[in-house]
This record gives sequence, structure tokens and C-alpha cells, in this order.
Amino acid sequence: MVEAARRAEPAEAALALDGVSSGYGAVSIVRDVSLSVGPGEIVALLGKNGMGKTTLLKTILGMVALRGGAITIGGQALSGLTPAKLVALGVGYAPQEQPLFQDLSIRDNLRLAVPADRMLPEALERLFGHFPFLKDRLAQRAGTLSGGEQKMLILGRALMLRPRLLLIDEISEGVQPSMVERLRGVLLAEREAGTSMLVVEQHVAFALGLADRYAVLKLGEIVDSGSTRAPDAQARVIDHLAV
Amino acid sequence: MLETLPVAERAAAAPRGRRLSRAAPFVVAALAALALWLAPLVLDTFAVNVLTRSMIYAVLAVTVDLLWGFAGILTFGQAAFFGVGAYATAMILTAYGATPLGIAAAVAASLVAPVVLGLAVGWLSFYHRSTPLYASVISLVVPIVVVQLIYAGGEWTGSSSGLVGFDVLPFEIEGYFRLAALFLIVVTLAAWILVRSDAGRALVALRDNEARCAYLGLNPRRLQIRLTAALAGVAGLAGFLFANASAVVAPENAGFLFGTELVIWVALGGRGTLLGPVLGTIAIDYLAANLSGDLPFLWQLLLGTAFVVIIILLPGGLADLVGRLWRVLPIGRRRPAPPRLVARAAATEATGTEATGTEIPILKVENLAKAYGALTVLEAIDLEIRAGELVSLVGPNGAGKTTLMRCLSDGTEPFRGAIAVGGTPITGLTPNRIVGLGVGRKFQVASVFESLSVADCLRLARAAHDGLSPVGQAETLGLPQAALDVLRMTGLDRLLTQPTRLLSHGQKQALELAMVVALEPRLILLDEPTAGLTKAERTTIGAVLKALTAEGRIAAVLVEHDLDFVREISSRIVVLHQGRLVLDGTVEAVVGSELVRTIYAGGGHG
Amino acid sequence: MLLTLDILTTAAILFIVSIGLLAIFGVLKIINFAHGAWLTVGAYCAVVTAKLGLNPWAALPLAFVIGAALGGLAEHVIIRPLYRRPLDAILATWGLGIVVGQLITLAFGRDVQLTPNLYAGTVEILGVDYSAYRLVALGIALAIGTLFALTVERTRLGLSARAVIMNETLARSLGIDTGRVRLVVFMIGAGFAALAGVLLTPLTSVDPNMGVSWLIGAFMLVMVADASYLALAAACLVFGAAQVLISTFVSPILGSIAVAVLAALVLRISPKGFSRA
Repeated sequence: MVEAARRAEPAEAALALDGVSSGYGAVSIVRDVSLSVGPGEIVALLGKNGMGKTTLLKTILGMVALRGGAITIGGQALSGLTPAKLVALGVGYAPQEQPLFQDLSIRDNLRLAVPADRMLPEALERLFGHFPFLKDRLAQRAGTLSGGEQKMLILGRALMLRPRLLLIDEISEGVQPSMVERLRGVLLAEREAGTSMLVVEQHVAFALGLADRYAVLKLGEIVDSGSTRAPDAQARVIDHLAV
Repeated sequence: MLETLPVAERAAAAPRGRRLSRAAPFVVAALAALALWLAPLVLDTFAVNVLTRSMIYAVLAVTVDLLWGFAGILTFGQAAFFGVGAYATAMILTAYGATPLGIAAAVAASLVAPVVLGLAVGWLSFYHRSTPLYASVISLVVPIVVVQLIYAGGEWTGSSSGLVGFDVLPFEIEGYFRLAALFLIVVTLAAWILVRSDAGRALVALRDNEARCAYLGLNPRRLQIRLTAALAGVAGLAGFLFANASAVVAPENAGFLFGTELVIWVALGGRGTLLGPVLGTIAIDYLAANLSGDLPFLWQLLLGTAFVVIIILLPGGLADLVGRLWRVLPIGRRRPAPPRLVARAAATEATGTEATGTEIPILKVENLAKAYGALTVLEAIDLEIRAGELVSLVGPNGAGKTTLMRCLSDGTEPFRGAIAVGGTPITGLTPNRIVGLGVGRKFQVASVFESLSVADCLRLARAAHDGLSPVGQAETLGLPQAALDVLRMTGLDRLLTQPTRLLSHGQKQALELAMVVALEPRLILLDEPTAGLTKAERTTIGAVLKALTAEGRIAAVLVEHDLDFVREISSRIVVLHQGRLVLDGTVEAVVGSELVRTIYAGGGHG
Repeated sequence: MLLTLDILTTAAILFIVSIGLLAIFGVLKIINFAHGAWLTVGAYCAVVTAKLGLNPWAALPLAFVIGAALGGLAEHVIIRPLYRRPLDAILATWGLGIVVGQLITLAFGRDVQLTPNLYAGTVEILGVDYSAYRLVALGIALAIGTLFALTVERTRLGLSARAVIMNETLARSLGIDTGRVRLVVFMIGAGFAALAGVLLTPLTSVDPNMGVSWLIGAFMLVMVADASYLALAAACLVFGAAQVLISTFVSPILGSIAVAVLAALVLRISPKGFSRA
């Protein structure tokens, strides 16, 4: 907590995890993870498959029960808060697994992400600012978009309510390099507007190019962390991820 | 009683105590029989009449309990089998009278007709991938159909007014009371012996985890159909007794409402125990007969309310409440003695060497492809695996690893291409048949039987080879040496009587591995065997796998994310990416490959 | 002609009776065995309306409100704790049905109640005299179907409900209050069931157990329809036709079990029922 406060000068950390553990049933997936994201900061969470990255995000969202430790968002403790409350607190989430209602229209997918229909027009304006191509395709089924386009829709959906904190799960997965570049541009612009982000990634170059700091998760524990500006950052991360 | 013995003698008394506790139910049954034999001497006529009926209903409650409480099949259909037995009896006795031949025919018909119907219902209810809800649906439809057929039967069945005035067995009401009491005691005792036996554990295993049963080579469908048919027969015999004792049968006796009443009695008494439903049924039916005259609606209201409350707050019924009190007492806390572990000579020794001598690979996959709708998950997979290999299947999320494992172990998955185990194609085979070919599968999330002990789980793993006793519990547990090694390395051999739900996650994973090894498979499939395990547990599992395959008779395929682990134990690594097999080679070749580095570090596209 | 009218109106009545159950099964994945009790409650709303001397049609809004209120209570007290035990939920709702039935008996006695016909008389269509009320029922079924379709396809509640059906985890992670969606859907389902109870009064006698006889048919239709109201409409037409034809040409008794037996066979062959078509 002290460390977090020091880093986040004007206000409290956008997100702070202190000794967080969680899991499903008898299985512990995340063990004693401490991590903070300052205001306007981007932190990349790296790690191989099955190491607990997605579970950690779901724990923050209140979808996996917290076994131990504490989570605060903007200084407010999260205990027993539903995802609905988190959205109201300004948390945006771009999930990785089954992230869209494939059989619903793009418009309906977006509608479901705003608390009330009257907020939709403004939210859509923001979305089109980032991804204008969606403007003419609102009536189309989400499942008919290409993989890269779906990723843009997922990110756009998380951005359109002006979140203060963004949780992003492998947004670059299966996306062509040119599109990855575009996603990066959108995220950096959003950070300029003051949004803090926790970005789960396996794409090392993308993650390190985007984030201010990184942390590596292995078997549910943070085994390495540091500034992405450090000269040996890339080498160290790849060392953790390599076969 | 044991407290008075000196310590040295107490140990010697243990086997005797065991024998005593085994004899106890027979003593209790004999005493109950004696008491019920004498009961009509002190009870008034009304009570004798009502209790006769209550005891017949209690027999039905036992059958519902075996199906629902033990085997997990929620059924409303026992009323239909009861009705069929009762009507068969009444129709035959109406036609032929209560001559010895007529009675014999009635007994036979009241047994055979429900069994045949039970087989049909079982076939309809249970098939590969049928759901418990579907079985319950069918059990609802059966009594409705039977009742409508009774209505349609005209003079044969007496239509809506039922059948009365047929000749019955030459007994007084006391005689029927004693007959019903004996029948109830025999059925309850038989059920008690069954659920305590090793075969009875298979029922609970079915309830807990049907998939695991199939992947131990047991045929869940056959077990469920046989159980349904057998208990239909018991219900039919109860119908025979009912038709004789009451001298009247009516469509309500076969109806869906009566079927739901049976479920209510069992739920209140305590599903999954035997005495609970028996005593619950007798008490409720007797009370109903006494109270419903005075306050009929209030009684139903109270019963309905109690039922809802019990289902929500006390799913184990009143017996659960009593049981909790019982376990507070010292005599209620005894643990059964663990079975003795015995090493079995590997039965497949001869055939095993034979198989390695020939050129047939243990697993051969040719041009395998699978799609969910428009989404292609696997494409053009070719793979051959021979004895002694430990092949790791790696690749990022969504690469198709788990789907491939599923195709290898379940031939009913729709896929294109060919998969052969030891030269036998598996297309269309259900999982239990594939287990029969020598394939053992360990799931990602430890799949064991939560209500059973460690020893019971292991015994079920041997059931396809050694069978299960339907009357007793074997005192030894014979396992292949490799399975014993797993138990010893993980300390499970000291926890044989422990209920599995109390095991740690790692212990459950180890137990499942031991169960799969106990199948003596030629090919072991493991889906993330180390997920969620500690470092020490991983090392143990890795050592076990290496030792198993090192002998050269078994092959193993494992899906694994932990590449350090993969590197340590594999003899070969296969890389899947976006549904295609992109690399297949030795550990050195794959680990050094630039392609793998790209896939893992870069989100690798193309 | 008569046969066609019989088929259409039978299907309409089946649809009216089962639509409430469908809504609940679709979103909550729970078989509501108290459905029969909601039908009965609705029918007794018609009885009360008559006793108060009101217009018989006033029973419709009354039944919907009372059904929804009781449904909300039941969801909160009984369904919510059993959300992860679907088979137990069947039993608990069945128990609830018993309780409701007995409360009605205590209040009104167990005798058959008389209700004024909502729409009496016959109409001549293409040379056939036909019960006017059955035709009205056909119209009402179409109206209810349309209302239901509009709710599902056009409203935010309908969209949320579909989202919960398709992928509850995603719906929750997007901030949709899925617990509230389940509550509201259960209330609407119970309200529709009570409404159906009013509409049944001209066709069947009203007594405390009247709902049970309709329950199994509705239940089987919903199983076959698997959460799709279009599939439910199709199932009502097909099985309604089978029921009418078998009753007319074979035997009324076999006709009465046609829906249950055919639905069971359809499910055995294709576990997803009609919804795949």
C-alpha cells in the first residue's frame, strides 16, 4: 500500500492488489499476488497459458471468489461488489474467452454493455471515433466479423463508457501485425485521456511497447516485474516465457 | 462393550467386532420381523389395515430411494410399475380366480410385466449423452400413459372405476399385515446388503460422476437400465401384494400423483439412507390416514410446506438430522477398517509383449479433422504413437489440444478421418468401449467420486476387470504394481478410508491417476495432469509417468502448459497451433525451434 | 374445416398455457412445476372477479398482477436457493404447487366453481357453427405471441434475457444484473400462466387441482421447444394437430396422451427438440 501511494502522487492507485489469492473449487490458481496500477499507467501482465492471468482479471471483476488479500479500485475496497457495480465505478473489461454474443447484432452487443439505452448514442459516438468501420455495420451479426474486427469490437465496447480503469485480456491474440499496431494506437490515445490499464498479454513485443511496467505470472505467482524501459526487459520476459 | 476389554485383547477383538457389525442388520431384521409378527395382536383393525398399506408403500419408497437417493435418477415412474403389477394381478385373478395356478400366474405376471416395461423405459431414458432431466421427463410420461391405457381398457381394466370383487389370497387382515411386513423387511435388508456391497458403490459412483464411470470402462447405460428394470419388478410385486390386500385396484394407484407422493415421502425421510424413507413413508401414510379425515386440507398443506422446506434447507431429509446427532455419539464415529492392498501380477504381461513385438502402433491417427459448425478446430492431423513413448501435446489456447484428446477417447464425437487404437478403429465407439481397448483418460479437473472413499474409487477402477460383489465388501484390494506405486509415492495408501471429498486438490489428481493406471491401459491420455499442483506434486507425477512408460509397454499422451515440465519428462513433443499439427519431434528439436518461440512469445500469426 | 379450426384453436390454447413456462425455463433453466398452481390461481381470479360482480375480462389484468407478485415471492424464497440444484427445484416447485392448491381449497372449498363465460355463443364460419370463444382464444394466442415476440426482440429486458440464455458469464461480466433478469422473467412467466388460467375458465371446470392436468402437456411442449418461442408455436401446432387427429380418428383417450408421448419420442431422437429447425 505504501509503495502504491508513493507512486501514485495525485490520487490513489487506480487498481491495487494486495496479497490476492483465488481459484475454483479446491484449486488455487492465483497465489498471493500484489500489484498496483497508478493513474494513467499501463501495466502488462505476461505469462504462459494456464498461469492464472485470466483468473486474476476475473477475480478483480468479482467473478471468481477472492480467497485472500484485498483489492482496491481508486481507493475503494472491493468486497462482494458485482460486475454491475464495477461498471458503474468506471471499470471496462475486454474478455478473451467467448467475448461476444455471436448470434446477436453488433448493435445489440454494444447495447448490452451500457447500463441504459439512453446512454447508447453518446457511447456509440465514442466508439466510432476509435473504429469508424463499425458505423455502417451495426445491424450485422457479431459472428460475421473477422477475427481482427471482433477484437476491435471487444476493445471498443470496453472503451465506449469512458472507463477509468481498463482490464484487457489478450487483445492482440490472432490479430495481424497491422491491426495490432492500430489497437496499440487506440490504447495509447486512451491512456493520454487518463485511463489506467492492466493488460494481459502473451505477445511480448506488443505488451512491452505499450506498457510502462510489466509483471510475469508463473503458476499463479508474480515471479518478475519491472519497468518496460529497462534495457534487459525484453530478454528477461522472453526468458520466462520460452520453452 | 469394547471399553471393558484390556488393550491387548481389543486389537484381537477387531475382526470379531467387524463380524458382529456385519451380523447386526440381520439381527435387527429378525427382531423387526418378530415384533411385526406380534403387532396385529395389540393393534386395532383400523391400524392393522392402514399399516399394511403403509408397509407396501414403504417397499416402493425403498425402490425410489435406490434409484434417486443412491443412483441419482429422480423418478416419478415407480407408481406406474406398481400399478402395472397390481392391475396384472387383479385382471388375472378376475379371470381365473385365486386358484394355485391363478395365483402363480398373477405373481409371475406382476413381476414380468413391470420388468419388461422397465426395460423399455430404461432403454428410452438412458443412452449415451442422455441427461438426468430427460430420464425424469420419461418417468413422468410413463404413469400418464399407463393410466390412460387403464382408462382405455374398458371391461378388462374396469376403466375409471377400477377393478373390485376379484378372488384374493386366503388371508385375514392380520395375515396380510404379516406378509407385507415380511416383504418390506426382505426388500429393505436386500437393499441394505446391496448398498453396502462393492456393487452398491457403483450406484453412488453413477450418481456422483457418470462420465468417470464410463471412462473406467463401466457401461453406465447398462447399469441404469438393469437397475430400472429390477426395481420395476420389485414395485410390480408390491402391486401384487397391494391388489390382494386391498381387493381393489384403481387408476390412481398407477398415476403420476402417486409417483410424486412417493418422492415426497423419500425426500422427507431422507434420500440416500434406507431406514429414513421406510420409516418416513410409514409414519406419513399412517398419520395421513388418521389426520386427513379430520383436517384433510390442512394436512396436505403442512405436508407440502414441510416438503418445500426440507428440499431447500435439509436435502438429506430427517434421516440426515438424526444422522448428525448419531455421529456426535462415540459409537457413530467408527471408521470401517481399510481393505488390504495387494499387488496383482500384471494380467496383460503376455499380450503386452506380444503387442510390442508386432508393428501395430498403439495409436494411429490419420487425417483427423473436426469442426463445430463453421469453426474448424482440428485439421489434417496425422499422428502415430508406439509403446514406451511419452508424448507431450503443446500449443497455445484454442489450438485444439483438448478437442484432440476428446476425439481419441470418445468415438461418438463427430470427426472426420480415422483413429485406431492397437489397430482397432474407434469411430462410433462409446468411451467405455474405448477403455476396453486399453485407453485410460485422466481429465483436466480431477474426476473422482466425491462421496466415496479412496479405496472404493480404486475398486471401481478395477471393476471392469475384476467385477464387483453385489453382496459383500472384499477385504483385499488388488491393484497393479504401478498403481500401488502411485499411491505409495503420494501417500494415498495411508488414506484408503478417507472420503475423497476431504482430499486436497493434489491428492485428488494423484488418486485419479492411480485409478487410470489401475485400468492397466496401453495408452494413457492426460489432460493437464499438473494444473494447480505444487512443485513437489508435479515432480512426483512426472516421476510416475516416466516410470510407467520406461518399461516400454505403455504409451502416454499428455496435454500440458507447463513447458518446463514437458521438457523434463517427454520423449517426444507435438505442437498444435490453430488446429494444425505444426511440429512433431524430439524435445531438443522442438525446444530449439524458432517456430515454437514465435508461437509462444509473439501470439504468432501464420 | 371443423378439423382445421379444431387444430388451430387447440394449438392456440396449448400455446397460451405453455408460454409462461417457456419464459422461465429459457432464462432460469429451471422446470417450474408450480406452473399448474399459477394456472389455478388465475382461474380463481376469474372466480373472484365474478363474485365481485365485475366485468369478466377484468380478471385478466388482476390475474397477471397477482400471478407476477406471487411469482416474485416464489423466486426469492424458493428458486434462488436452488439455482444450482435444478432437479431439486422441480421438487420444490411441485411442493409449492401443493401448498398453493391447498390454500385455495381452504379459501374456496374443493368444489367446482362456476365462472361466467368470457365470450359466449357460436359463430358461423364457412358453413360451420363454431364456438366463438375458441376463436377468440385463437386471437388472444396470436396477440400474446406477438406481445411476447416484441418483448423478446425489441425491449431491453428481452435483450438481457436473451443474453443470459446465450452466455450468462459474459452477460454478467458486462454489468448486467442477471439475478434481477431472472426475477423479472420469473414474475412475467408466472403472470402469463395466471393469465392463461383465466382464459381456460370457459373451457374447463375450475377446481383447486385443475392446473395439474395441464402441467404435463405444457412441460413436454416446453422441453421440445427448448427456450425458443417460435419452436414452441411450431410444437403446439404439430402436437395439437396430432392430438386432434388421434382423438377424432382413433380414440380420445389416446389423443389425450399424444402430446406427452410424441414429445418424449422427439426428445429421444433429437435432444434439442424443435429448436434446431
